[in-house]
Amino acid sequence: MAIITVKNLSKTYKVKEKEKGLLGSFRSLIKPKYKTKKAVNNISFEIEKGEILAFIGPNGAGKSTTIKMLTSILTPDKGSIDILGLNPSEDRKKLAYEIGSMFGQKEQLWTHLTPYDNFKFFGAIYDIPEKAVENKIQEFKDIFEIEGFINTPVRNLSLGQRIICEILVTLLHNPKVLFLDEPTIGLDPVVKEEIRALIKRMNKEYKTTIFLTSHDVGDIEKLCKRVIIINDGKIVLDDSMENLKYHYLNKKIVEVKMKEKVNLDDEDGITILKDKGYNLKIEVDLTKKTISDAIKLLNTDNIVDINISNTPLEEIISEIYKKAE
Amino acid sequence: MLMAVKNQIKVVLLSIKYSLMRQMVNKFTFISNIVFMIINNASMIIQWIIIYSIKDTIGSYTLKSVLLLWGFASSTYGVAHFFFKNAFDLSDFINTGRLDTILVQPKNTLLSTITTDVRVSAIGDLIYGYILLFIYGVTPINFIVFTILSILGGLIITSVAIINGSLAFWFGRSDSIANTVESIIVLTSTYPEDIFNSFVKLLLYTIIPVGLVGYIPVHIMENITLVPILVIFAFTILFIIAANLVFYAGLKKYSSSSLMNARI
Repeated sequence: MAIITVKNLSKTYKVKEKEKGLLGSFRSLIKPKYKTKKAVNNISFEIEKGEILAFIGPNGAGKSTTIKMLTSILTPDKGSIDILGLNPSEDRKKLAYEIGSMFGQKEQLWTHLTPYDNFKFFGAIYDIPEKAVENKIQEFKDIFEIEGFINTPVRNLSLGQRIICEILVTLLHNPKVLFLDEPTIGLDPVVKEEIRALIKRMNKEYKTTIFLTSHDVGDIEKLCKRVIIINDGKIVLDDSMENLKYHYLNKKIVEVKMKEKVNLDDEDGITILKDKGYNLKIEVDLTKKTISDAIKLLNTDNIVDINISNTPLEEIISEIYKKAE
Repeated sequence: MLMAVKNQIKVVLLSIKYSLMRQMVNKFTFISNIVFMIINNASMIIQWIIIYSIKDTIGSYTLKSVLLLWGFASSTYGVAHFFFKNAFDLSDFINTGRLDTILVQPKNTLLSTITTDVRVSAIGDLIYGYILLFIYGVTPINFIVFTILSILGGLIITSVAIINGSLAFWFGRSDSIANTVESIIVLTSTYPEDIFNSFVKLLLYTIIPVGLVGYIPVHIMENITLVPILVIFAFTILFIIAANLVFYAGLKKYSSSSLMNARI
């Protein structure tokens, strides 16, 4: 059963247009011109309980506007949203008890307080009894290993530790759905891995449905089983991660070190990406040529070293973005 | 319902407590902010002492009345800016998308927004208001009435700030309107009403409610009766309702922002 149902959702912004320079500013002051921008244009989707969904798209695609409508921050112009039987625009307070939201670019923790005090404060916001908050904090300590910094003021924590606490604070009231808007923005690879592990654990331990927006392909690849790609306010792809890879991974990258040079210039289905004499990097289009045929062309006796890899997901996604444009 | 109100009050008190703790991190800045605000306010009263050494009354105001007027101006400003500081920065909250993290919480958005910070110097204003009450001549009754009227006045000033700040939902930046109205309130609330002509007086009892936060309270203190206090109470409720209506009407037009921000 769907836990989130979105039907024909739209949101339009009125944006002021200004001409260049001081004169333009004067003109704009006397006779302002506006243009309307459809940030979200008639989108529909459903999310099942326990799913981890990646909601991705380039900057300005409508990701944040969508997540803000789902979390009661913005009021939609058209369409309907149903989250656990509640309408975010009309049932803001009721919904807030059922969902958690974390915006990577907007901190909600009090920086001069320790994570412990912050947990207590947010416990009060969600009307959780003191004893239950203490139990939850103990649970966080046991599962998410925050013992070492729970009594350090947030402003003295590393960025990674801070983000971990930002996410944990959204879990205090056991939300059924968690909205994470770019949770790994600005983090180093090690901390990103820690955050991903945390998200996976949350999903596993608490069966939390997770709605994730991110520009980081690693987040999407390692966490999500389903991807929705939005561009220019419209959904351009809604598919499982498996299908996405299957349909778009029809190209292989072959990096090879050879004893003698080989000429592949006119071979159909092979694109030379890099040619440094004895070191060659080619892309093989699997719809036209098999990997085995490509290797035969290189001559197996001639190969010193070989590496065959898939096209990075990042390239696949940017290709989908480009196609949508 | 009662439980919800109790929980909301608990969160408001915690917010004020934590905001105060944040300001207390630097002991010197904390104390100097309060002390210098008292000195700053005290320096303003010198001109009135000089004027009243030449003339016994200005209209119906004696020096003691002016001291009391200053007391109300100071204490109402103190109440408003200490407890509801963010009401005076509402335009900025709206334009920079700082309402986002508050909107996702299951609490009253307006109350949570305006109580998540305190202005330490406002403690100086509050203390100064009571110092002037002591100079005027304190009794247990007028102490209680002064406190009630200061709270009501603080709520009226806060409501006006919310209404002006909420204009940002429709017109973008409205901080200049809010700042101008606040400056007019501060300026006019420290002068006896009798120096203003009828038109200005009309404004001061309506659009710019200095009459409710300063002039009428001074008259009440000179002759304490219940009815005018109830009238001010009724007006306070009306202002609070108006502030809520304007804020929540505007909130439907809130467009957020992608600017990065933190609770520092």
